[in-house]
Amino acid sequence: MKPARFSYEAPTSIADALAALAARGTEAKIIAGGQSLAPMMNMRIAQPGHLIDINRVSGLGEIRLQDGHLVCGALTRHADLARHVLAWTHAPMLAFAASTIGHYAIRQRGTLGGSLAHADPAAQLPLAVVALDARIEIASQSGNRFVAATEFFASIFTTVLAPHELIVAVHVPLAQPSEGWGFRLFARRAGDFALALVACTAVRNSSEIAAVRLAVGGVAPTPLRLDHAVPKGFGAADWIEPAARAIAAAAPIEENERISTEYRRELVAALAHGALTDALENAT
Amino acid sequence: MTGSVGQALLRKEDYRFLTGQGRYLDDLAVAGALHAHFVRSPHAHARIRAIDVAAASGVPGVVRVVTGRELAEWTTALRMAPPIEGLHPVEMTTLPIDKVRFIGDPVVCIVARDRYLAEDAAELVAIEYEPLAPVTSMDGALAPGAALVDETLPSNLISHQTFTAGDPKRRFGEASIMVEAEFHQHRQTHAPIETRGCCVVWDEGRQHLTMHVGNQVPHPYRTQLARRLRLSESQVTVISPDIGGGFGQKIALYREELTCAALARVLRRPVRWREDRTENLLAACHAREDSARTRAAVDKDGRILALELQITEDFGGYCFYPANYVARVVALILTGPYRIADYSYDIKVVLTNKCGYGPMRAPMAMVSWIIEGTIEAIARKLRLDPIEVRRVNMLHASDLPYRMPTGETLEDITPRETFETALARFNIADFRARQQADRRRGIYRGVGICCVVESTTYGSAFYKAAGIPGSGHEAGWVKIEPSGAVNASVGLMASGQGYETTFAQVVADALGVAPQNVRLNIGNTDTAPYGMGSRGARGGTVGGSVLTLAARALREKVLAIAATLLGLNSSGELRLNLGRVERHLGGVWTETPLSLTDIAQVAYLDPLRLPAGMEPGLEAHKAYDPPPMTYSNATHVCEAVVDICTGAIHLQRYLVVEDCGTVFNPAIVTGQQHGAIAMGLSGALLEEVVYDADGQNRSGSFADYMLATAVEIPPIEVISQHTPNRKTPTGSKGMSEGGVMGAIGAVMSAVNDALAPFGVVADRQPLAPDYIRTLVRGKMPTP
Amino acid sequence: MSELAQPLSLNVNGEAHHVLVEPRKLLCDVLREDCSLTGTHVGCEHGVCGACTVLLDGRPVRSCLIYAVQAQGVAITTIEGVAQQGTLSLLQQCLHEMHGLQCGFCTAGIVLTMQAWLDEHPNPSEAEIRGALSGNLCRCTGYHNIVRAVAAAARQRGKEAAE
Repeated sequence: MKPARFSYEAPTSIADALAALAARGTEAKIIAGGQSLAPMMNMRIAQPGHLIDINRVSGLGEIRLQDGHLVCGALTRHADLARHVLAWTHAPMLAFAASTIGHYAIRQRGTLGGSLAHADPAAQLPLAVVALDARIEIASQSGNRFVAATEFFASIFTTVLAPHELIVAVHVPLAQPSEGWGFRLFARRAGDFALALVACTAVRNSSEIAAVRLAVGGVAPTPLRLDHAVPKGFGAADWIEPAARAIAAAAPIEENERISTEYRRELVAALAHGALTDALENAT
Repeated sequence: MTGSVGQALLRKEDYRFLTGQGRYLDDLAVAGALHAHFVRSPHAHARIRAIDVAAASGVPGVVRVVTGRELAEWTTALRMAPPIEGLHPVEMTTLPIDKVRFIGDPVVCIVARDRYLAEDAAELVAIEYEPLAPVTSMDGALAPGAALVDETLPSNLISHQTFTAGDPKRRFGEASIMVEAEFHQHRQTHAPIETRGCCVVWDEGRQHLTMHVGNQVPHPYRTQLARRLRLSESQVTVISPDIGGGFGQKIALYREELTCAALARVLRRPVRWREDRTENLLAACHAREDSARTRAAVDKDGRILALELQITEDFGGYCFYPANYVARVVALILTGPYRIADYSYDIKVVLTNKCGYGPMRAPMAMVSWIIEGTIEAIARKLRLDPIEVRRVNMLHASDLPYRMPTGETLEDITPRETFETALARFNIADFRARQQADRRRGIYRGVGICCVVESTTYGSAFYKAAGIPGSGHEAGWVKIEPSGAVNASVGLMASGQGYETTFAQVVADALGVAPQNVRLNIGNTDTAPYGMGSRGARGGTVGGSVLTLAARALREKVLAIAATLLGLNSSGELRLNLGRVERHLGGVWTETPLSLTDIAQVAYLDPLRLPAGMEPGLEAHKAYDPPPMTYSNATHVCEAVVDICTGAIHLQRYLVVEDCGTVFNPAIVTGQQHGAIAMGLSGALLEEVVYDADGQNRSGSFADYMLATAVEIPPIEVISQHTPNRKTPTGSKGMSEGGVMGAIGAVMSAVNDALAPFGVVADRQPLAPDYIRTLVRGKMPTP
Repeated sequence: MSELAQPLSLNVNGEAHHVLVEPRKLLCDVLREDCSLTGTHVGCEHGVCGACTVLLDGRPVRSCLIYAVQAQGVAITTIEGVAQQGTLSLLQQCLHEMHGLQCGFCTAGIVLTMQAWLDEHPNPSEAEIRGALSGNLCRCTGYHNIVRAVAAAARQRGKEAAE
């Protein structure tokens, strides 16, 4: 399985990368980690005529704090995100999600920007950024713009990125001190893409849980926020089980010839149960 | 003197594999070699109307593009027509000419400077197909009016055999209790980490073909290859380099390999081929798709009075093996370790529009699941403990030798002994207490038991009695060189079994030298003796036996020479110990001045000093035909927890008590158990070749065809309880496939035990989580 | 650069290799064919089996998912660079002693992956070892002895570190 021919360049600045994108348009594809793109190219499912390798672009690989946000560069490798002290401190769900991706070698290479741009409905990072109300910073030759993660994913493998645009960073609001989180997924084997995922946060306000954010992934073309489906009375006794079922009932599950909708709904319920339990437990 | 047989010597092979210096097929550098690449059918079933290779042929770097028509001129077709009642003969051209029979069927071969180019050119080949209705299931194959996969046959039922021993119908009539059970095993494929490939060199000057190919049976392969190319066998050499896993997939002469050989001759350039993973999963060889039903007449204690088996197998579109080849063994040994005299079977094998079938490590694997599952069905119906039902039916040592209803003889096996040891080691009583406690907490834990009787090392008498052409013997030689170095060879080919180490131990012990000084030289048909190759868990027993015989013969010659050189009348008081001749004097073994080197020097370079009438040199060639069948046995126990909410299965503990007879190297034997068990578990839980209703194969990558990783496979405890086989020279029995049989049965049994409170039975594989949920959905557990 | 063959300079096991290859040629193929280092094996070409794993600047990556042109200016380590003058590394020795390989085809990928992983995880549990190993498929061993070998190597490293 060898890829079709392509021409190649490796710009070293964002400006050069954007110029290359502007020049080549839809003929070009950005390659970052390559963990999703390269298999597709080897199988000739994807045959871009021109590859723009952004691995050498400076300024895209840092994680820092800025304006009440954790800012992660698009080239942040999953392995680095998974062990970064700032990430664990201020967006632990994101760090945890990154640690569950694929396998050790995949995580050395795969990137945050690449995962979001690829927009696999079953992927961890798209779900996490949607759950955390992150904003995606997108650059082009006409300047930078921000898109809310909840608006970034349009459909399966499709985002709102235009052909001349490049993700440069993800801005994640810092986790509140009293915020707990849960992130659960179900896969057939260690490291496989999940059949379903649930991510949630819960903010404790003195004795009670004041707010719950919840998102589901892997069952619809994009990750979806289902806050509206979370019943009130968060955290009350015996609240979790019916809440999980309500969330599962509200999840729009797409037909899939290999796995029944009924089963996926059951998975969502089980995962929601686990994620809510975790979030409530560590909301202190 | 302590021998090395029975010691866990570290492997000689390891150094090269650990340091990246193995020589697998693709590692061979052959100057000027061209690369072959196959254009394959995207349809499950279609007539080939037209093939246009003009554009592809015009790509710079493409040397030749050929189709089935040209190959039919350069090669003969394969006729599969063994004289077996109920089996239809079939023929297969080298590449299809009239129609394709499965998605992935190779239609065109492009030969180019490199693989990248060849794949570019492949996109330019235009083939006009006329799709036909695909046959995609066993039921579909047998349905009236079904499309014919092979149009020379009256139907898709290519093989049908029945058999009766005793009077099962009468027993069914007499019995008051009947138990029925079903077993559906899914399609799987071997998926060795190294895919198929070959490199063919045609020497026009010598008119000689050398086929480099990782193949388990180099000599039978050579015979086939020569015949198909219309060459004399002495014009063909097959050389197998290191093999990255075979498991039965690397036995047949495949069409792609034959195509490369024909092209090498025509082009007078070396031609090589490397199969990619998608091709391997789609088009190499498939296995295991069988549906079985048993019916048992039993008494109130669960004693089986009669047993009936129906089995149907999905053989795919092409026959690289006789179609009855695999299923017949299931039917042959089904009664396993149980005393059953009245037995009948009905085997149907059908053709479908899927990749052709072949033996995959333990081709008869489902047999233990079937008989153990039948026992468990009996226990459920009668509300008896399945352990007790096994005890009621199982053979005692005093029953052996036992003649199975199919005529097979079981002897030198210890099923009851391994069974009782396994139960004790696992501590069933403790488990049941934990199981009960967990059930009250909503945790569903189960224990699975599987008693395995494994058929291994098929001898010529077996094939003869079965009407199958072919031999079960093996050949070997041992040579001592003038310097005293020892070389040995046998007609087997390794794909991970460690022959270079174990057979060095065997030869060393039988001869009287150190194993470090014995070198095994296999896989080259010019130097290795003609043998039947590695398959059917035969290698250890036939290889070890024939090398023992050859080494012993050589030892006798060495000691006879030593006696003469020492001026003794006979060699009765002499032995060879780690390369030195010793003499038994006054109750003690004493060194003599003679070393093996001294004797070899005389034998090769000073033959006038040899005993009168003795030929110079030190070589011994032997052949060995094992008993018709050599059985080994084991009991497998598996503990699993089933997550009722998600259907996930977690394996928590696995142990096997095994009796495989005399063991040459216990570490290697244990490693074989681990590997076989892992393959069985992986298959039962995760792997699945999926064809949809249009005959499209949905499992063409490792993302879809899932192999178990180190997370899904539990630690495996192997407890050895070896008793020798008295009919083989070394006392060994085969053992490398039984792990697959036991694992499949044990994990099914464990899951069913876990789900027992729900009153459901899993009767099909894989045990996918959504299947588990389908079983328990809406059911309330009873305590 | 165009799609045609380009001269590249690759640093493999500390040595410079000058090759002429198209941008699309996979690193695993360039290592095997153009650098004649056949110890890196190709098992799937879609990043699942792990047999092709090499180290780039000490990090394990699947060489079937990297184009050689991307690997300029980095230190590439293949299996051939692990043993020093024929002396096996600790992990290689443990695999040998624990019978952690059979056909050997997946072994190189496992050595490089787990060696790098052990550098970061000096005191692993069995579950952690199995999790780390899950990115390398083996069809022969059932993983049992590989896990034992990695655990033994970890213990030995721990001892040496303590001394």
